[in-house]
Amino acid sequence: MKATSDNIREIIAEADILIEVTKLKNDILLKDQGADSLDLANILLLLEEKFKIKIPDQDLDQVQSINAIIEYINNKTS
Amino acid sequence: MNLGLKQIAVYLPDKRISNLKFKNNFNFDNDFINNKIGVKERAIKEKNEKSSDLCVKAFKNLIKKEIIDTSTIDCCIVITQNPDYKIPHTSSIVHNKIELPDNCACFDISLGCSGYVYGLSNIISFMRFNNLKNGLLFTSDPYSDIINENDKNTAPIFGDAATVTYISENSKIFLKDAIFGTSGKNFQDLICKDYLYMNGRSIFNFTATMIPQHIKKLLIKNNLEDFDIDKYIFHQGSKYIVDTICKRLKINKFKVPFDMLNYGNTVSSSIPIILEKEMKNDSLKKCVISGFGVGLSWGSAILQFHQ
Repeated sequence: MKATSDNIREIIAEADILIEVTKLKNDILLKDQGADSLDLANILLLLEEKFKIKIPDQDLDQVQSINAIIEYINNKTS
Repeated sequence: MNLGLKQIAVYLPDKRISNLKFKNNFNFDNDFINNKIGVKERAIKEKNEKSSDLCVKAFKNLIKKEIIDTSTIDCCIVITQNPDYKIPHTSSIVHNKIELPDNCACFDISLGCSGYVYGLSNIISFMRFNNLKNGLLFTSDPYSDIINENDKNTAPIFGDAATVTYISENSKIFLKDAIFGTSGKNFQDLICKDYLYMNGRSIFNFTATMIPQHIKKLLIKNNLEDFDIDKYIFHQGSKYIVDTICKRLKINKFKVPFDMLNYGNTVSSSIPIILEKEMKNDSLKKCVISGFGVGLSWGSAILQFHQ
């Protein structure tokens, strides 16, 4: 499965964060849009499960915005 | 011999540290404290108090609720990873302080948040095999001794407490089945060298993935379904952890007590603190209990209530 803005937003919605997913901006860090550390941990776990990948702790700075997540996952799964 | 859980008593220190006071240091807001961590204030023991002192206070609360002839207690187990001393075992110190008889078997179990489930299975098996009649299972793990107050991953979470479960015949609650697990490869993710260290993401991933599967396995093994279970008492790691397990198991929130807001994550005491309250609920027939944490270690059990 290829990562897209839509399916990443669906996953973020599944993580049940308090921010309205439609209002999220792709190029801004999720933590600067209201996601806290627990939201981010949950989003990363869901990404790992849906895309069947591992996101090691040393890669965390590469998955901090929706655009960055899309790029990271598509590089990893290509 | 049909041994079960006859009574539970809890000791929570009166002293509290408010997380709201520290929120600016850690950049937390009220919503994060109340609805994510789920700990507004932490119960903290006096500095000079040790694990055995907390056990004694729990025992004093037990004898207010149940007439216990201490000369009949033939087994005493303390679950702790913060013993009074490296040597001897804390159960021996408790034995002395509450004046248990010479024929009483005493030993400690070194486990954290999975400790109560392991402890119940251990004490009941050990007593049955050795034909013992009256046992005391203590949980006491005062983390305030090992917390760095500047560590935002651990300081806002843990509180001090102790519990004692009286195991005897003619009881109300019985251990029907228990299953256990360990992931030793992740032992460094929750560890105390000088102070407690926790890799929050790793512990979250472990809990969110392993525990729902483990509980499903327990239910399948016992031919039970969700509608057979009246309550799920999970270790109170944080509100977010409890909520996440609940969501992943797709179980109704009303079946899942949450109770740590005013005292914190009390490690092996978290399950018996809630169970003590649930014992008063006459409508309960079957409960799942599940503890998970340090090790990484986990254990889940089915408790059968005979009203």
